[in-house]
Amino acid sequence: MTSADFSAVLPEVLLALYAMAGLLFAVYTSKDKAAPLLTWVTAGVFVVLAGIIALSGGADTVAFNGLFIEDAFARFAKVTILLSGAGVLAISVAYLEKRDLLRFEYPVIVALATVGMMIMVSAGNLMTLYMGLELMSLSLYIIASFRRDSVKSTEAGLKYFVLGALSSGLLLYGCSLTYGFAGTTDFAGIASVATEGEISTGLLFGLVFVITGLAFKVSAVPFHMWTPDVYEGAPTPVTAFFATAPKVAAMGLFARVMFDAFGNVTDQWTQVVGVIAVASMFLGAFAAIGQYNIKRLMAYSSIVHMGFALLGLAAGTEAGVSAMLIYMAIYVTMNIGTFAFILTMERDGQPIVDIRALNLYWRNDLGRALAVMALMLSLAGVPPFLGFFGKFAVLEASVNAGHIWLATLGVIASVVGAYYYLRIVYYMFFGAETEALDKPQRSVAALATLIGGALMLIAVINLFGVGDMAATAAESLVR
Amino acid sequence: MRALRETPRHSATAPATSGGDKVAHPVQTHIFNKISPTGHFLAPCGIYLWQSDPIYGRTPHESPLNPMATPDAKPAPSGLIPVALAILLFVWFAQFAPRIASGEVIRAGFDWAPSLGVSLTFTLDGLSLIMALLITGIGALIHLYARDYMAGHPQFNRFALYLTAFMLAMLGVVTADNLMALFVFWELTTVTSYLLIGFDHDSANSRRSALQGMLVTGAGGLCLLAAFILIGEVAGTYAISQIPDGALKNSLFYTPITILVLLGAFTKSAQFPFHFWLPNAMAAPTPVSAYLHSATMVKAGVYLMARLHGDLGGSGLWIWTLTLAGGFTAVFASVLALRQTDLKTALAYTTLMALGTITLLLAAPVPYALTGAIAFLVVHSLYKAALFLVAGLVDHGTGTRDVTLLSGLGRKMPFTALGATLAALSMAGLPPMIGWIGKEVIYAGGLKTPMPLLVIGAALAANALMVAVAYLFAIRPFWVGKTRAPHAPHEGRWTMWIAPVVMGLTGLGLGIYPHALQQLVDPAVVAIYGGEAKAAGLHIWAGLGMPFYLSLATFTLGALIILAAKPLSGLIAALSRRLPVFDAGWDSFLRGLKAFAAWQTGVIQPGKISLYFAATFSVMVVAIGLPLVLMLDFGPLIRLPDLNPVLMLISILIVAGTGLVLRTRERITAIAGLGTVGIGISLIFILFSAPDVAITQLLVETLVVVLFAVAALRLPQVRDMTPALPRVVALPIALGMGAVVSLVTLAVTATPFDAHLTDWFAAHAYPDGHGLNIVNVILVDFRALDTMGEITVVMVAAASAYALLKGLRRTKGSPE
Repeated sequence: MTSADFSAVLPEVLLALYAMAGLLFAVYTSKDKAAPLLTWVTAGVFVVLAGIIALSGGADTVAFNGLFIEDAFARFAKVTILLSGAGVLAISVAYLEKRDLLRFEYPVIVALATVGMMIMVSAGNLMTLYMGLELMSLSLYIIASFRRDSVKSTEAGLKYFVLGALSSGLLLYGCSLTYGFAGTTDFAGIASVATEGEISTGLLFGLVFVITGLAFKVSAVPFHMWTPDVYEGAPTPVTAFFATAPKVAAMGLFARVMFDAFGNVTDQWTQVVGVIAVASMFLGAFAAIGQYNIKRLMAYSSIVHMGFALLGLAAGTEAGVSAMLIYMAIYVTMNIGTFAFILTMERDGQPIVDIRALNLYWRNDLGRALAVMALMLSLAGVPPFLGFFGKFAVLEASVNAGHIWLATLGVIASVVGAYYYLRIVYYMFFGAETEALDKPQRSVAALATLIGGALMLIAVINLFGVGDMAATAAESLVR
Repeated sequence: MRALRETPRHSATAPATSGGDKVAHPVQTHIFNKISPTGHFLAPCGIYLWQSDPIYGRTPHESPLNPMATPDAKPAPSGLIPVALAILLFVWFAQFAPRIASGEVIRAGFDWAPSLGVSLTFTLDGLSLIMALLITGIGALIHLYARDYMAGHPQFNRFALYLTAFMLAMLGVVTADNLMALFVFWELTTVTSYLLIGFDHDSANSRRSALQGMLVTGAGGLCLLAAFILIGEVAGTYAISQIPDGALKNSLFYTPITILVLLGAFTKSAQFPFHFWLPNAMAAPTPVSAYLHSATMVKAGVYLMARLHGDLGGSGLWIWTLTLAGGFTAVFASVLALRQTDLKTALAYTTLMALGTITLLLAAPVPYALTGAIAFLVVHSLYKAALFLVAGLVDHGTGTRDVTLLSGLGRKMPFTALGATLAALSMAGLPPMIGWIGKEVIYAGGLKTPMPLLVIGAALAANALMVAVAYLFAIRPFWVGKTRAPHAPHEGRWTMWIAPVVMGLTGLGLGIYPHALQQLVDPAVVAIYGGEAKAAGLHIWAGLGMPFYLSLATFTLGALIILAAKPLSGLIAALSRRLPVFDAGWDSFLRGLKAFAAWQTGVIQPGKISLYFAATFSVMVVAIGLPLVLMLDFGPLIRLPDLNPVLMLISILIVAGTGLVLRTRERITAIAGLGTVGIGISLIFILFSAPDVAITQLLVETLVVVLFAVAALRLPQVRDMTPALPRVVALPIALGMGAVVSLVTLAVTATPFDAHLTDWFAAHAYPDGHGLNIVNVILVDFRALDTMGEITVVMVAAASAYALLKGLRRTKGSPE
């Protein structure tokens, strides 16, 4: 353990120390009274760390004898995770405070989950992978049932825990099979065993179990069942968090394992991932049609989007990873904007999740109605909004990799998916007369919706250079 | 009448006037109101004054005439901005005409998203120029007209914005050279069309029609995206102008590309069987119908087919699909047009006919037919937009669009009648209108196609029906009979009737001087067909040839249809009742989709965790079991291990424990059963001489059983234990999962054990760790840091457990 090793994990160490210090601080001072302050500081720390990571650049380092990899890919994923985490914290303070839900543990647990995610995307070894994954998952189980007096929230937490434990079990089983047959838990070592066309049966089954476990975490079909229930049951800010940072981390980890450990045998897993991707896109698209609960709808929406991201991964190429990263960055932006809006949906001060309550919302607040329209059209992938470019990048990578049928199916699924996004727009502008929602107040969430909506159009110009960064990141992963 | 939605702020300005004074309408003031504090400056707050109409002296019950506007409101000055923009653009495009006519192609562009290969490049050739001139020219007139038509509408500015956005998007479609840019503009026209059809959003019908149009054309648009991506892959470029000759035709993907492109074009241009959305789109305000759903947007599909004609056309697939779809649409639509009574709906069906005819002519790679297609495209845009505007004027001036209620309007609405007549003559194809030349060229071109009989037959039938429709819908209501209308008819403002009159006169002017159109058609045909193409000459007198005789036949047939209009209309109505209705089919499709979604959600997402487990395990069984069964060589696997009787006994113990867990309904019993399984496993460890592991296992098992038991005693008893899944379903899944795991274990143990770690520790334990027990050395030496971590975790857990228990006791002790 040298100082070079520690400098590679410095952001993680700092964040972990911060989380513990924050916990101690709150316990020994004013407890929940310190929670808003702590939340803002946590968001600030996230942003600062993201800045440090983004600016550190430099060469790719492998620390702790291959346990931990610090490369452009990890940096890209970490910056996305940290910024989306900060965004979600910022938009959720007002909501939680209003409902007396803002406990000081909340930002601390979010910070710990984020440490887990950062470790996940940097994992260079099955051990690191599992450590990061469990740190994240255990933290998420807790915040899913954060609202302990609500039956739905408790049920969500329990379901998430049980199914998550099952998936961890499957993943571990896969890891042990992989270890048994590769003789190492090191990704580089596994890769040297799993060379071109040469993969033993045991390793193959290990791979399948690992994919199953990871598919749970990205909520891909057929391991998506927890998603709608947990999204619905968890408090909305928590749902917003679930829909953003952990998804990026899980996709990052997915890519990491597939390329670092099984990168020499891409043809063994691209088909499996492709099937999962298509199944996710279709199931999510169809299931969302009947939803009126916007949180459940966003759950299915995230399943579809994960399908698209996996489509990029299924290409098994550098362009595919780059497309996946672009897609995830855009996805996170869209989701924060949308959830910021959902957080402000209320009537008589009570949160509302039924999309029919949005009828003629534009009379309430035209600016945000337009912003949400931009977000919805972007989620649906309608050009010229940002979401279209994400879809386009993925489809192009997929076609380039020769997966024309996957791409075609993806297009069809996105047509079906467009229906329910447009329905929200439809309600907002052309809906029937119903009891209106409360007039919006000035809040961070309201501002975030506007910014999100504006980004859908402005960022189209050059994606703020995310495209190039994603390409560099993909290059560092797919060597 | 529209609902009154004024805010109190404005109600103060509502003057209760009566009699001769011109009403000072508050709408003009509020449109220029600053953005209100709440930000919704577009919020409807107009006052609708029906009390009196000083201009026409109507009594209240006679109004309103036009559901979209207040009749006495002044048009908003802001409406002139788009008019000016359209005129400027028209002039700007027109100045390229001489250069284009001399064969030049103008290009401009910049990189948009270079990392994705999307650049915004524009091309202006003959085809683009004709389309651009139609879009901007007709656009200027329509904007002028709409300003009056929508006068006083509280959301006029929004309307003008949408219409302008559409115009720019449409210009993008026809000038974009990059396929992706074209697609983006294409979808923008879909979106603006959606907003415009649904503009009257208080009407459920408008909303439904808007959604229908959006979904049909949007689905087509996505087919187009797939096609464009394929083209990009095959041709290696997204620039239309750089697709190598024959690259697409010779590729493996020719058929999918063509089918996808045609799906996009047919949905946009409403070709059978995707035609049903267009008549419904007439729910839009009339200027929109005239502009989008007749003159320009629906031509986008036709434009695309023309644009890609050189790259995709010429094959049997292309020729047959276009001929059949176009021909059928043309005849079918004109027959249906005959039975309509609503002016706008009738015109919508004739638009379908025109689109069908153009499609038909685009089928064959014959310059003559292509000339016909382009000429007819121009002709149709001119007369059809004019007729739609006339329909709006009639609606405005009489209060109805039902032709059965209208007659002899010519005397009261002379200018409207003039515009209508000029347009109708062009539509009927009578000389010296441009319509006559268009018809002649269609026949001349049709004769040169590979399937002349089919093409000419369809064109003849459609044209004859057009003659009848022109008479019945645009001549008779104006010139036959006594003046009759629900309200005293009156002429609209000059800014309204000027548009159809100008379009009609343009049609007449081009008919007399076809050379002007020829100048544009020549480069357009070159753009479609390729360099060596020579467009057909457009002449008002092309001599006594087959086309001329066909024209005579058209007029005769048309006259016969007019005479037999009444019985024919009844016959068609009776017939069409028996045909399947596409519109209803659409509704049932949407219903089916929703029902499917609900069904799927019900099955997959019931909210019961046991079902989620069942689903997960089923997938695992199939995904892992199948390849396992297919790949494995079972020979070496099926070997019974040395049948140690003690091992057998332990196995029976484990199975019995599992059975107990499955059968019991008591928590404690179930936990005891699980404990039995655990103890059995630790016995196996002992048997294989690993006492340390066995002791750990035993300790953990005991602890878990005790802890569980303590917790279970505190939990409430669950009464309803009915399983979520019937046992018949659960059993095979459970057995399957068990079998898969067993098979995997067998397969894994069948491969030789990799002992290099064991060997390494055996070799290094004593020399490096100075210990004889390898396990001990690993724990305290090689992995000392891990052990310390574990101990720390246990300590922390113990401390927190203590804290929890202490807290529990305290809450119990206190009265609260």
